[in-house]
Amino acid sequence: MSNPMLPPDRFPADHSSPLVNVSDVRVMFGETVALTGASFHLCKGEFVAVIGPNGAGKSTLLRAILGLVPFTGEINFSPTLGLTPLQRISYVPQQQSLDWSFPVTVWDVVMMGRIRHIGWLRRAAPSDTAAVTDALERAGVSDLRKRPIAALSGGQRQRVLLARMLARDCELIFLDEPFTGVDAKTQDSILQLLERERMSGKAILMVTHDLESARAWCSHILLVNRTVIASGSPALVYTPANIEKTFSSARLEP
Amino acid sequence: MNLEWLLEPLRYEFFVRGLIGLSLIAVLCACVGTFVVLKGLSYIGDAMAHAVFPGIVASFLLKINYFIGGVAAAIITALSIGFVARRSGLKQDSAVGTVFVGMFALGVVLLSQTRTYSVDLAHLLVGEPLGISAGDIQTTLVLGSLALIALFALQKELVLVSFDETEARVIGLPVNALNTFTLILIALTVVLAIQVVGTILVVSFLVTSSSTARLLTTRVGAMMLWGSAIGVACGVLGLYLSYFLGTPAGAMVVIVNTLVFVAVLLLRRTRGDPARV
Repeated sequence: MSNPMLPPDRFPADHSSPLVNVSDVRVMFGETVALTGASFHLCKGEFVAVIGPNGAGKSTLLRAILGLVPFTGEINFSPTLGLTPLQRISYVPQQQSLDWSFPVTVWDVVMMGRIRHIGWLRRAAPSDTAAVTDALERAGVSDLRKRPIAALSGGQRQRVLLARMLARDCELIFLDEPFTGVDAKTQDSILQLLERERMSGKAILMVTHDLESARAWCSHILLVNRTVIASGSPALVYTPANIEKTFSSARLEP
Repeated sequence: MNLEWLLEPLRYEFFVRGLIGLSLIAVLCACVGTFVVLKGLSYIGDAMAHAVFPGIVASFLLKINYFIGGVAAAIITALSIGFVARRSGLKQDSAVGTVFVGMFALGVVLLSQTRTYSVDLAHLLVGEPLGISAGDIQTTLVLGSLALIALFALQKELVLVSFDETEARVIGLPVNALNTFTLILIALTVVLAIQVVGTILVVSFLVTSSSTARLLTTRVGAMMLWGSAIGVACGVLGLYLSYFLGTPAGAMVVIVNTLVFVAVLLLRRTRGDPARV
């Protein structure tokens, strides 16, 4: 897959002030080390892919930054984000983690992205309705707004979750395996949507299995297997030795 | 057409009180039950119904309002379940099973110590809609309204926690507090409903009309509305049937509710996925 429309360098990442700084993070699940010595930073205008085999701790890394799992080490957010820690990140979960038979419509799900904007004990304001309408438009699911989520295809589900992410409108966007259950055409349009977000100055962190689309679209790759094995531009990181080290069946000892 | 038979039972005040009481409880149960069904908390609802039993019996022994003892027992149960699950590392259903059967057994032992009130207390096991007093209706109306106002005030947050708890945590909602609030609402609803349908049948009231509504609708709000309508209709029908057939009223209402659920299940076009209509 190539990216002729949007050259990756058009909006160069601003490395002077990272939005998130992850330093020597370690996550334990009971006695098991899920992740150790993980360090990297995420800057405005960056599109970073986290790549590794199943059980390598990719999702765990995201969940640590989100504050969903306890960790040791340091995760610092830029003060310019100016929000409480948990409200800085739009998170797009793996679509299989949700109950798609739940009795809500596409509109309802995207409106969930506005709950914090709306506030306690209040109803959606016109600005929220406008934000949801706009997010549906940008994710290409305007025509599905009245549809129950139980009647969506895999690709449509993913677009609805992306629309909710857009409606939240955060500086940081985290995605966990956004291409699962999605056809090639939808995958391409998802990547274009993310690229537009990146160019508008958002920072994107995406967990994926897909080495090729990460090479084509991402400015930065993190190869992860229990720790960060390599970090840098695709050209720098994708060496046979690094790939072998990341995907070799033998579990790395921390 | 002669509607005399329809009006005949309405001459009895206890019958009218039963109708009003049942309808109020049906609406409350349908709305709270919507979250019970969506969050998969039916087992906890049943456990709560059994666990409040000793509290209610104790209230009779101490000659205080049964509601106070019931809610106190419910809160103790909810906290114990959490404590047992955390301390033991057991799965939640084992923790629930351990706590509620113990509480229920305590209720049975307490019940054996009462002499004068034993008939009233027997109603707590299977319920007696026709025994509802004006005071019970007042309590139900006031506390039920408060519960529903709180539920609707927090509806969008509760729906998000039910649908996507991780997202709720990510955006910084107090998920644990909202879950505790849901448990308290269930407890309150159960205690109010016990006077009508009793400990053993209350879970049917809590989940059946909401489950029927789940088969018919694709929005949470519609589920509450339809659940309420179905619950009230089944309550009225069940009460009339029990009057003419001379059968226990609480159980009759539950049977009608169950039959309506089965009918909807069989008549609907698609299978499997409940929301796909």
